[in-house]
Amino acid sequence: MESLQADVLVVGAGGAGVTAAVEARKAGAAVVLVSKEPVGYGDTRISLGAMSASPDPASGDSEEAFIEDMIRGGDFLNDPDLVAALVRDALDAALTFESYGHLFFRDEAGVLKRLEVPPGGHRASRTITSPSVGVSMGHVMRAAAARADFPVLEEAICSELLLHEGRVVGAAVLRLATGTPLAILARSTILAAGGAGALYYPHTDCMPSVVGDSFGLALSAGAELVDMEQVQFIPFGITHPPAMLGAPCGEPSMAGPFGRLLNCRDEIVLENIMTMTRAQVARIIMEEIRKGGATPWGGLKLDLRPNLDSPVGELFVGLLKKFGGPFLDVIRKAYGEKAVRLEEPWDVLPSAHYNMGGVKTDPDCRTCLPGLYACGQAQGGVMGGNRLGSTSLTEIFVFGRRSGRAAAREAARLGRLPEPEVARPAFDSLQSLPGRRGSFRPIELKRSLQRLMWENVGPLRDAKGLGTALEEIRRLREAARELKIAGVRAYNQEAADAVELRHMLAAAEAIALSAQERRESRGAHVRADFPNRDETEPVRNMVVRLVDGACTVRAVERGR
Amino acid sequence: MNIRISVRRFHPDSGEPPRWQEYEIPHAPRMTVLEALLHIYERLDPTLAFRFGCRFSKCGLCAVEVNGRPRMACFTEVRDRMRIGPLSRMPVVRDLVVDRAGFLESLRALELYLPDSQTPPSAPAVVRCPEAREKLLLCIECLGCNATCPETCPFDPGRAGPYVFVKLAQLHFDPRDGRDRRAQARKLGIERCLECRKCYCINGIDIQRHAIAVLAAAESVHPEQPCRS
Repeated sequence: MESLQADVLVVGAGGAGVTAAVEARKAGAAVVLVSKEPVGYGDTRISLGAMSASPDPASGDSEEAFIEDMIRGGDFLNDPDLVAALVRDALDAALTFESYGHLFFRDEAGVLKRLEVPPGGHRASRTITSPSVGVSMGHVMRAAAARADFPVLEEAICSELLLHEGRVVGAAVLRLATGTPLAILARSTILAAGGAGALYYPHTDCMPSVVGDSFGLALSAGAELVDMEQVQFIPFGITHPPAMLGAPCGEPSMAGPFGRLLNCRDEIVLENIMTMTRAQVARIIMEEIRKGGATPWGGLKLDLRPNLDSPVGELFVGLLKKFGGPFLDVIRKAYGEKAVRLEEPWDVLPSAHYNMGGVKTDPDCRTCLPGLYACGQAQGGVMGGNRLGSTSLTEIFVFGRRSGRAAAREAARLGRLPEPEVARPAFDSLQSLPGRRGSFRPIELKRSLQRLMWENVGPLRDAKGLGTALEEIRRLREAARELKIAGVRAYNQEAADAVELRHMLAAAEAIALSAQERRESRGAHVRADFPNRDETEPVRNMVVRLVDGACTVRAVERGR
Repeated sequence: MNIRISVRRFHPDSGEPPRWQEYEIPHAPRMTVLEALLHIYERLDPTLAFRFGCRFSKCGLCAVEVNGRPRMACFTEVRDRMRIGPLSRMPVVRDLVVDRAGFLESLRALELYLPDSQTPPSAPAVVRCPEAREKLLLCIECLGCNATCPETCPFDPGRAGPYVFVKLAQLHFDPRDGRDRRAQARKLGIERCLECRKCYCINGIDIQRHAIAVLAAAESVHPEQPCRS
């Protein structure tokens, strides 16, 4: 059995994982970094590269104001200690990432420049941006991994965490290129494998690899997840051609003062879009679709033409042309030049973008399981029920640093690691994947689950749909015992699909169960059967964990 | 309507040479090469190996060769009789999957990163970079350029290909980088590139102008010196 040892194992190599690994190494730990894709190919790479840094006191902004904006935006579900940590460390975290090689935009004098117009929900602009959007961060993540003197395992998928005497002591991984399993024993393990946007594929703008590995790994090992029902859907995703379904094409603020949504009969469904949150707009689109207002492409039409007829609107059009570049590129490719000139409406449909819920941690990213940490989108509680624009990159760098340092510090206090034999069952299970002769291909079950999630656990939910989802998830889990997998070893995509499927089923169940239990609409969680916030009860977090192998949820008063 | 496309297949353990395999697939308007590959994997052939990522031409993971030229599979429309193969001049892991691990190794071997300052500054640095650096950051690291370079040999650091020159030029334009990236480029034989000019970038970077000419120029004469601060 092939094995490696480390003080700190980091699972995931987007912005959070790379930062955690580099900072743990700087704190003196022996590190191993494991990445399912090549290093730096997570959601950070395809982000807009915009990050909230610290408040600018010169503009009257303060840390308190930033914290308040995030908690109000998050519909009061956020863990205030995590929010305070994010705000306090925001600038230092940006500078740390710059020290890896990144450079946020400067003005002509070379001074760090904040965006002129803050993203929705921020009362002041804290946002700094990157040249060439997120891909410039991709370059930096790869450079940082190359500069560091620790092993980096690319295209290695983590199947389970290893447990020994109540501690997490590393993980088992499958190396895709060769098809060989590997046991990695570690004193501390950091989960930084992102969220689960691709549970809704193709209705997502996330990388298809972010299917919920962090959540599945944590849950199966015994850690707690919090507020998993909180999945952010951006309201405006592309509907066609099918190849581009889900591509992001705008924020509510992009509708301008006079933008409106039209249904298939050209009736106005919504105006004043600019002032609304992502969740509010997504909700109204889905409600209208349910009422039969969908266009032949399955969405509604976003009509920005009225902006062209007024001076205020024109000002906005100018801003859009200046700052909307990445969205306009997508719109041009899908719908053509007339749409980009805003001269004709185009089809939009919500698209899964970000998981606010995730692994429950303290501000140093510790989970309830000794030896296990989580950071970045894997983590829950930072964003509450709704994430403000440009805060996710802050989250990955702030908590990447915190987790790396805490994990290194605590690993140094520990003694010997257990023998590699502790990984034997996990190792054998990976070894036995190629050539299985069951009835179902993993990709069939993956696609069924993704369809199920979109149809029943999407931007608009109800008791009936959630019940169906949970029942089907159990059925799919049964089917997943009977997998049929190609016999090849080298780059066996079906073996990788099989590992992902397990994580996906766990993550999906946690989301659906939390959504069923939250009998109110709050944050990004919208229930057609409970359309309002429940003001009769104190604000509660939904906490999920395994009890005797079964996924269970309990509502906990916030802060408990 | 159905179309037929050919996909280059290779399995290292089989002992057989690479071959073209034809597939018949249903075609829809504006269907992409990526959709065709997904259709084959999901419906016809569970052993087909290829990479893909964001689907919207942002991540650079799905680069393949279409009729002999590098293309992003996600942003290229598929047509009847198309031939889809792995990027040229790169070791093939299987089918359309090329070995990218070598490129992390070359970042390491050639030190294509900023020197490590250990402690990041406590306040944002004042830095001015020439605009050329931004143009070079359009690189999505798809490695398509290397497939167009007659000299590339991924595991010979002396023949690292245009991707490495783009990285060197990015660093050359970064005032925080103290190394002489031109000297490094000369060692890697950049003068050969000045005459060759065969490589190109499918994402629109002018590699000749913004990377090769910059790195091959003598230190004192180039007008796009980074402003030091």
